[in-house]
Formats: sequence, structure tokens, C-alpha cells
Amino acid sequence: MRKANCSMNAQEVKRSLLVGIGNSAREDDGLGWAFVERVEQEGLFKGDCLYRFQLNLEDAELVTKYKRVLFVDAHKGELPNGYSFRKCMPDAGADFSTHQLSPESIVYLSQQLYNVRPQAFILGIQGYKWGLKEGLSEQAQENLEKALKGFLQKRNGSNLILY
Amino acid sequence: MNRKIAIDPITRVEGHGKVTLHLDENNRVKEARFHIVEFRGFESFVKGHPYWEAPLLVQRLCGICPVSHHLTAGKAVDQIVGVDPQDLPETATKIRRLLHYAQVFQSHATHFFYLASPDLLFGTDAPAEKRSIMEVAVNNKELALKGIQMRKFGQELIQAIAGKKIHGISVTPGGVHKGLRKEERQFFLDGKAVPSVDTMIRWSLEMVAFLKEYRSKNQEWLDSFAAFPSNHLGLVTPNGALELYDGNFRAIDAMGKTIIDQEPDTRYQELFGEATEVWTYLKFPYLKSLGREKGWSRVGPLARLNVCNYIPSPLAERERQYFKSLTDNKPNNSSMHTHLARMIEVLHCAEQMKLLLEDDTLDKGELVRQGKHRNLGIGVIEAPRGTLIHHYEVDDNGMITKCNLIVSTTHNNEPMNQAVKWVANNVLDGKPEITEALLNQVETAIRTFDPCLSCATHALGQMPLKITLFDAEGKLLDERTRS
Repeated sequence: MRKANCSMNAQEVKRSLLVGIGNSAREDDGLGWAFVERVEQEGLFKGDCLYRFQLNLEDAELVTKYKRVLFVDAHKGELPNGYSFRKCMPDAGADFSTHQLSPESIVYLSQQLYNVRPQAFILGIQGYKWGLKEGLSEQAQENLEKALKGFLQKRNGSNLILY
Repeated sequence: MNRKIAIDPITRVEGHGKVTLHLDENNRVKEARFHIVEFRGFESFVKGHPYWEAPLLVQRLCGICPVSHHLTAGKAVDQIVGVDPQDLPETATKIRRLLHYAQVFQSHATHFFYLASPDLLFGTDAPAEKRSIMEVAVNNKELALKGIQMRKFGQELIQAIAGKKIHGISVTPGGVHKGLRKEERQFFLDGKAVPSVDTMIRWSLEMVAFLKEYRSKNQEWLDSFAAFPSNHLGLVTPNGALELYDGNFRAIDAMGKTIIDQEPDTRYQELFGEATEVWTYLKFPYLKSLGREKGWSRVGPLARLNVCNYIPSPLAERERQYFKSLTDNKPNNSSMHTHLARMIEVLHCAEQMKLLLEDDTLDKGELVRQGKHRNLGIGVIEAPRGTLIHHYEVDDNGMITKCNLIVSTTHNNEPMNQAVKWVANNVLDGKPEITEALLNQVETAIRTFDPCLSCATHALGQMPLKITLFDAEGKLLDERTRS
């Protein structure tokens, strides 16, 4: 995993966190990272950005330091517009491994352990290919563009602040 | 009519496992098999790559203990560049040890707090949805918080040394890439950004005390559950002390009689054979001197505390003496006592981390050394789950021509089968059906070994559990799946 450069002053940094989940060496599994990279490159997001292969238990503590968190991950199933944007509700779930927790579990743990529940969202982007290869498929690339456009609409909308 | 039961997948272990139970005409367990059904083939994958890539490639086997694979491969490629462990620069050895202690510390803490503690806190009778870290967070908040902080401490230290928490790089053939500066060490000593190493020692002591108290209230269960006689294998120093990074093989039998002692790790091929079975990708290592049937050994925390004479850390040694008193200084063959052994090792690692973090020479002196190149490198380490062996052969151009990996969970293959058999014999009790109690207790028994099935099979773990029941004629009687 790697941590992106922060571009904000200390006060703003703690407002929002963008977490790209995935693996750029597994084709469309790199959608989460690709999204964060684009957002960073184009200066579309002013909070902290993180790249994660998977979410870990200690991320439950990390998210408590932010008011808003957006998890971005590749999605294997069919999505009507190629992406989906939804609230991330706390859920104990049934995670069996210590090194692969869901965003819902992370939010659940942050609430249970730290009494803090950040406003959390999940942006899922539909992928198609998952082989040992770098680069997104053509369809995934199209979905990434749609997701970026959707993200900007959300960001600029009055009902949701994501920066 | 013989019958067969299968449990697939097994939950709260790292990887994907399946259990089948074969019953006889009286519905008694004739045979229990713990199957590993995934395959990745890393040993073939690294062939044709240059030797110096091995420490980078093989750590991708696993997201849980990549540091162990990184270091073990590193020890092997040291030999390929002509550097034996005693010839490695002193600072490099210290850095590698610190990295290893951090890895064992965080891995053991993760297992105890997040995988094993639900078994202890809620019992094997509790419903599956209650036996999870989420319930620990609700009902034992302080325990869960300490677990997160202890895991985080180890992960942060790994990052400070190797650049990343997972799949970082510290090892280079014949040494390490970098030392650890004073200000980097201070991060772990002053307690400002993360709880200090002194706090880690205190919390480790608390966890040992917790398990001692737990045992006082649950002695019969802890002592007897999945207990069975076995050999025990681990590395020790020339003085017989517990040694996690670089030592010699020692194996004892269930009564404490020495089988092998002070055997150099490079002799592993002469000492161990590897058997295979058609129903699992996991091999069955055994001591050649005892043969396939009697030569299997436990590895990991329980085995290590059984084979060593002492622990070279004062607080951990004090607790080891308590541990030994539980069995009148005889080997401890109670699988559930592995949890206590694991926490004593956590304490040992915390004490050793403190010593190294206070060492002002960690960024001084030579970091890399090379000698005359060789065509063979064998690295052995005590990984969190037990003895880990890497073997590489290279051609004159330095390309890998052979790779053999015997990971900790592979050594524990037969012991895990024995543990499953113990549970089946004690829970099935003549009823040819898969009950929740059977499912839970099989998992609890396997979990004491903290198996990493991803490493053991070199496969990408997904972790479901399936139990299947068959009769003597191979007819499916019952099947349950938990995902």
C-alpha cells in the first residue's frame, strides 16, 4: 500500500479521507487505485488519499480521525451505470480473515471501539478482468470515467460535501 | 457401514480448508482428514528468476507473514553470495532480528485478539455470529483496543524498517538496505505517536496474566481439549535458548526424549522427508530417523517452548517457568496451551524489541557484505507459526533452478489432522450428523495452530469451511458449509 501526498493544511486534512482499495497488478482490480490517482493528478479532492490492497483492523482507528470517508473499490457484479455510490452503513458482517475487512466492518469497529462514526460512502466501479496484468480493461476505463464524472457531481452538489 | 463427514470451509483461519470424517459401521471415527484444496505453485513460479529476486517474490505468498518469507529467503540468498549467518554484518543482523520480532509480535497479537479470543471469551457453544472480533469489540472493548494497538505497533515498526507494512523490502543479499536512525527508533520509545515499547511489554504481561487466570477457571477444558502426544520441533541456540531468527534444529518426543539436537539448519534435507497424499496439496514432513508414521512434529509456539531450555528475556523466561510447571517440566501436549505459549513469545518479542530499539548502533557500521558465490542457499527461521524452510539452487548465472519451501503450517499438517480426529472422536459420539458443536470445535482445534493455508499451499486464501460426512462405501451422508 502507499500513501499519497497530502495537499491540504492541517485543519482541512482531517475533513475527508479517500481510500482506494485494490491491486493495480490485477487488471480491473486496480480501479480503486486508478480512481484515487486521477483525483490526485487533477486536484479534484482536497483531503487525504490512501491506497490499500485491503482494509485492516487498524483502519478502524484511522477513519475516526476524519469526518468523511469515501472507500473506492472495483465491483465484480453488474452495475447499471458502471458504478454505484452508496452510504456505508456499519455492519459486523462475517469477515473471517484479519487482513481483508469490508468498509462496513471498519465503520462498525470505529463506532464500537472509539465511539466515532464518520460519514462514510462506498464508490463501487464495475470491473471485468482480474488477471495478473497491469492496466484496466477498456470497459473498466469507461466506467472509471463515468465514476469520476459522478464523483464530481456529488462533490459539487449541495447535499454532499466530499472535499 | 462406514461413514464420512466433511467440514468445508473452516473459518477464522488464514486460507481455505476442508475437513472430512470417515466413519465405521458403528459411526465411530475411523479417519479424519484436514484437506487443503488450493494450489498456487510458487516453487515453480520462481524458477528462472535471478536469486536476488527471491526475497521479493516469495513474500507475495502471503499478506499475513510476508516478513518471515522475506527474511528466510534473505538468509538463503546470503549463502548464495557467500555469506553465512555468522558472517553477516552485525548491524544487518540486528535490523533483521528487530524486523522479525516486530513481525512475530504483530502476527501473534493479531491471532490472539482477533481469531482466538472469541473461542475463549464466548466458548465453542456460542453461535457462529457471536464468535467474532465484532463481538469482542462490543463485549471486551479494552481487549480489542489493545489488540489493535499491539498489531499497529508491530506494523509501524515493520514499516519503519522495510518501508511498507506489507511486502516491504529490507533484505538484500548479504545484508540490509538501511539501518534505523535514532529519531526513527524514538518513535517507538517515547510513547507520543504510538504507545511505547514499554507499554507493549506491560500489555503483553497483562495478556499472559489473562490467560493464566482463564486457565484457572477452565483448567479441565484447556488441558484436555484436542490434547494428543506428539513430537515437537524448533530452533534453539547452541545453549538451548529459544531462537527465532537463526539457530539449530532440536526435536523431542512427547515425553521429552531428544530426537535430534543442534543439527545445523542446512541439513534439513538429510533430516526431513516429505510425504504426499492424494486428497490434499499440503505435504507431510517427517523426521527421516523415525519414518512417516512416527516422525511428524508440531511446530510453533507450543513446540518452541517445549524444546528450548530457557528464553533469553527475563520476563518471558519467568512466564516460561510457569508454563513448564503446568506439566511438571514435561512437554506440554495440550493444543489449547498454544495460546499461552504464543503470548509468552509476544512478551519475549516485546522485550527484545526494546533492547534493539535502545541500541544506538542500529544505523552505524557496515550493512552489506559479500563473499564467494555458491549455487545453493538454505534459509530457516522460526516464523510465527513455526519452522519455515526455504531452499534455492541457482545456475552459474545466478538464475534459480530449484526452489523448495516447507512452511510452518505444512509441519503442522499431521498435528492438525490429529486435533480434528480428537474432536470428532469426542463430539460425534455415534451420531452420524454434523452438528454446530462439531463444526465449532473442529475450527477451535485447528485454530490453535494458527494455520496459514495460503502459505502452506501457496494459494490465494479465500477462507470458507466445509464439512462432509461419508459412509464406508463413500456415500455422502451429510454436508455443511460455512462462509
